[in-house]
Amino acid sequence: MYNDKNSKKIVETIQNWARSHSVWVLAYGTGCGAIEIAPTMTSRYDAERLGFRGAATPRQADVMLITGYLTVKTVKRVVRVYEQMQSPKYVVGFGSCTINGGMYYDSYNTINLLDKYLPVDVYINGCMPRPEAVIAGLAKLQQIIREGKANGAEKYLENLDWYKANQRKIAPKWIAKAPDYNW
Amino acid sequence: MEYILIKTLEAMATFILAFLVGMTYGGVVRKITGRVHNRLGPPWYQNFIDAFKLFSKTRGIHHGAMHFLGAAFLMVTSVVSLMIIPVLAPGGHAWYNSWFTNMNFNGDLIFLLYIMTFGPLGMAMGAGQTGNPNSSIGVTRGLSQMVGFEIPWVMALVALMISYKTTSVIDFMNIQRETGTWLMFANPFAFIAAVLAMLGMFRYSPFDIVGAPTELASGPVSENGGKFLFTMMSSGSVFTFAKLVLYVDLFMGGANNLVMLVVKTFLLYMIPVLYGIVSPRYRTEQAVRWFWGWPTFIGLLAILYAVMF
Amino acid sequence: MDMITLILLLFLGGAIVTWLGGKLSPIVGDMLFLVTIIVPAGMFFTGVTVGEVTHLHALGLTLTWGLSPLSYLFSMIVVGLGILLAIYAVPFMKGKQKTGAFYFNFTLSVMAMLGILVSKDWVSFFIFWEIMTWSSYLMVILNGKDVQRVGIKYFIFSAIGAYAMLMAMVVMNSQLGSFLMADTFNNFQHLTVGNQILIPILLLTAFGVKSAMMPLHVWAPDAYSNAPMAYTGLFSGALSKMGIYGMVLVMVTMINQLPEGTLIRDIIAWMGGFTAAAATLWAITQDDGKKLLAWSSVGQMGYIIVGVAIGTPLAMLAALFLVVVHAMFKGSLFMVVGAIEKQTGTTDFREINGLIRKMPWTFISALISVIALAGIPPLAGFVSKWMLYEALIQNNNYILVILLFFASTAGFLYCYKFLHGYFLGQEEPEWAHVKEAPAAMVIPMLLLAIGTFVLGTFPQLLFKPIDSALQYVGYDATGGHLWGQSILFSEWGDIVTLQPILYVVLAVFVFFALFLWFKGTKGTRYVSTKDISTSGELPKEWENLTFKVNFMQPFERTIEPFLKRQIDKYYTAFGNGLEALFEFTRRIYTGNGQTYAIYAILFLALLLLFRVNLFG
Repeated sequence: MYNDKNSKKIVETIQNWARSHSVWVLAYGTGCGAIEIAPTMTSRYDAERLGFRGAATPRQADVMLITGYLTVKTVKRVVRVYEQMQSPKYVVGFGSCTINGGMYYDSYNTINLLDKYLPVDVYINGCMPRPEAVIAGLAKLQQIIREGKANGAEKYLENLDWYKANQRKIAPKWIAKAPDYNW
Repeated sequence: MEYILIKTLEAMATFILAFLVGMTYGGVVRKITGRVHNRLGPPWYQNFIDAFKLFSKTRGIHHGAMHFLGAAFLMVTSVVSLMIIPVLAPGGHAWYNSWFTNMNFNGDLIFLLYIMTFGPLGMAMGAGQTGNPNSSIGVTRGLSQMVGFEIPWVMALVALMISYKTTSVIDFMNIQRETGTWLMFANPFAFIAAVLAMLGMFRYSPFDIVGAPTELASGPVSENGGKFLFTMMSSGSVFTFAKLVLYVDLFMGGANNLVMLVVKTFLLYMIPVLYGIVSPRYRTEQAVRWFWGWPTFIGLLAILYAVMF
Repeated sequence: MDMITLILLLFLGGAIVTWLGGKLSPIVGDMLFLVTIIVPAGMFFTGVTVGEVTHLHALGLTLTWGLSPLSYLFSMIVVGLGILLAIYAVPFMKGKQKTGAFYFNFTLSVMAMLGILVSKDWVSFFIFWEIMTWSSYLMVILNGKDVQRVGIKYFIFSAIGAYAMLMAMVVMNSQLGSFLMADTFNNFQHLTVGNQILIPILLLTAFGVKSAMMPLHVWAPDAYSNAPMAYTGLFSGALSKMGIYGMVLVMVTMINQLPEGTLIRDIIAWMGGFTAAAATLWAITQDDGKKLLAWSSVGQMGYIIVGVAIGTPLAMLAALFLVVVHAMFKGSLFMVVGAIEKQTGTTDFREINGLIRKMPWTFISALISVIALAGIPPLAGFVSKWMLYEALIQNNNYILVILLFFASTAGFLYCYKFLHGYFLGQEEPEWAHVKEAPAAMVIPMLLLAIGTFVLGTFPQLLFKPIDSALQYVGYDATGGHLWGQSILFSEWGDIVTLQPILYVVLAVFVFFALFLWFKGTKGTRYVSTKDISTSGELPKEWENLTFKVNFMQPFERTIEPFLKRQIDKYYTAFGNGLEALFEFTRRIYTGNGQTYAIYAILFLALLLLFRVNLFG
């Protein structure tokens, strides 16, 4: 019965619903975007009513919020944190910088497209996106989780070589030393 | 054999009750905190969703055998204390009263005090094996705090033991039923000392020095996710409920039916919660010294009161 | 020849033969040592019956030896611990210096302790007491470290104890004309009131030194940690219990007959309670496993002293139970430290990390023993603490209960520090080479740890011998149902109803452990302790993420005002004062003839001056 296709589907649906309504956020406050997290979580916009909650460590977190530009140095840390999170896990790119580099598009030490290094599930456009936009983005994330389409972790695992190759291009020594990502 | 089966089913019922009530309390506390912050706050069932989500995480890590055992130690403590603490008063006549007669109606306070420390110590081992320095720091803080609040708490209990010459929880409940006076009025100092100790026991602010999210990254649980966190969360809820029931049994005459039980435990639970919402955090030594100050003095008064009257 | 004499002689002869055999070849010494311990021990188990008495005429004295139920209880500890530690000691001492001296003193200590226990007169008691003191003193200074500081401290305190005991013996003999213990106990009423108080206090001083009661404990932490670990188990587990044995005798037989007895009992009980609390706090501040366990031993002796001093049957039961259990878990823990010292070469918490995966069996025995030490329910330490609290509450010692509760709760801190210090935390590459200790070292400590588990589940195994021991020293017969006097055991019906609860605890524990395990195996993998959530950093090989230094700092800060006061400092000040006094006397005895001549003249002048007053 447990292996029955239909019951599996039902279980999956319930799980996805739970995942979408309980999202623990690891706010990786890189650039200026971190300032928008505070009003999103506190009284004015109150993301907790939708089930969002801050997580203290990557082990407990479901979604990583990358709030702004990523320097080469920071990418290493972000990759590390992402690999320490436990599936199912999601990435939300926050602000223009994660999409096309934003105002740092020609900087020598920032990356322009986050999706080359980590599988991003939802982008939130804007420079900076206001809390309304953030909540809209998070709601979008909830929706795709519910639909079962938020499968960034599997994508990362499938295309690991490609992602690793991209990461190696910007931080060759560091990636060589990092532990294998084998799950 | 049939007897054991029925007993097991009844124990399951108690456990499920404790789980449901404890989890709901957790959600309600989040809601209340939200309202105090002038937010909407999450729905009251948010903790159930969180627990289910943690349970259905597909991947996880562990740092060795002790990491597994730590969570198991925590769970066994919650379950066993729940089994030993009388959930409902023996005089009640509700049809479900016999369900909650587990091993308890002989519960002994000293035994209970020690079994309740079993879990935190086991959890500390699990946290130790993860090798995360934050976990170890959190554990030492937690143990120090335990030394702090245990003194007024034990003093309150000893005061009760002196007055009524018994260490059995069920005897205290019977005494309260026979005399018609709750022990919180019979020995008010003991109740005050116990409530002050309770502030540390439930680890809300200003005594949330163990988790300390801003500086320790949630302390002992910082390496735990998925199943481990689910086990800890549910055992924490059950344990919270068990401790509240113990307080109700000792000081508020127990409860004759489930409605009264929920009302009494909830009122009691609001003391540390509401005190915590508006408080900042103490440093460890401040917290320990706080417990060795006024609460201990009131505990001494309780013992004096018990000896003299 | 009589059995007891034969056993003692075998130990003595065996000690010498082992020493000589060790000179031939180390293996011969090892073999001889094992034979020397195990053969007489086996004879003791099989051949000696409780109650038999033998007389020995020597030097115009009659020495009376015999085994009473009380001494049988203690001799079980001595012999059992002796065998296990002897098996442990052989691999422990392998490749070390002074193996012969170690074996010799070890055997001699076991012999002396058995001798103390079988002595029925004060002369042989004193002789064996001195042999025990000397052999343990030689063990303390065996490694040649800190002989000045540690050895002399131990020696001075032992000497104080010995002189006090000698004085008490002399007074008793001069007043009562007998060295027999039974005579002195029975005729105690015929002494004058002053002597009635003096003798117990002198004896209690002697026994208090051995059992490390505050303020006579100063020698203990250093001596315990300085002796070889294979011996410290015996030192803390059995040798210090000789003080308790004497204390039980004195408390029951002498102080019970005194009208002022309750006051003395209260004072001793408070000293014991203070010992338990203060030693626990000191244990928390230690950074060396040996020192930590040494202080913890002092603290646990405090509990036992409280029980003995309170002296109700339940308190005595608790104390004697803890005597046996403490010997087991502390023996095991000292063996653990010894194994770690053997495998890594150090015992400092700040240096060793994460041995749990390298020495799993050692960790398991340490874990069980530590749970017993902390007094957590399924294990035996809890039973004795439970009874002790009950006895204290029944006896209206409320503040003392709080003090002991405090000590026991604070005990969790050092328990955790011990386990975390050696076994948990980051696994550093520095200790990657460490292997599990040899089986001969692991099995004894595991056996002792399992013993605490068995006694925790079936405490009645131990209640019967303790009951007969208590009846021997003069408590009422209880028909083997001593625990019925406790509120809680009568509440639980019988001790047996405790067992289902423990089984339930175990069952639930196993259930959840298995649940996590099964739930965890799918999709869960092991990661090393370097792979922790450290804000995305990759720790380098040399980067030490361990939290070990200042481990209990918040708590230490809390108790800082207390830690400033050390009895050691007072003793040092006293010693300095004495030195100043001696310095002053040296000014009088200058060694110069002229000065002495002046003294003579001054003396004559004084005589002349006061001749009227003096000679009339």
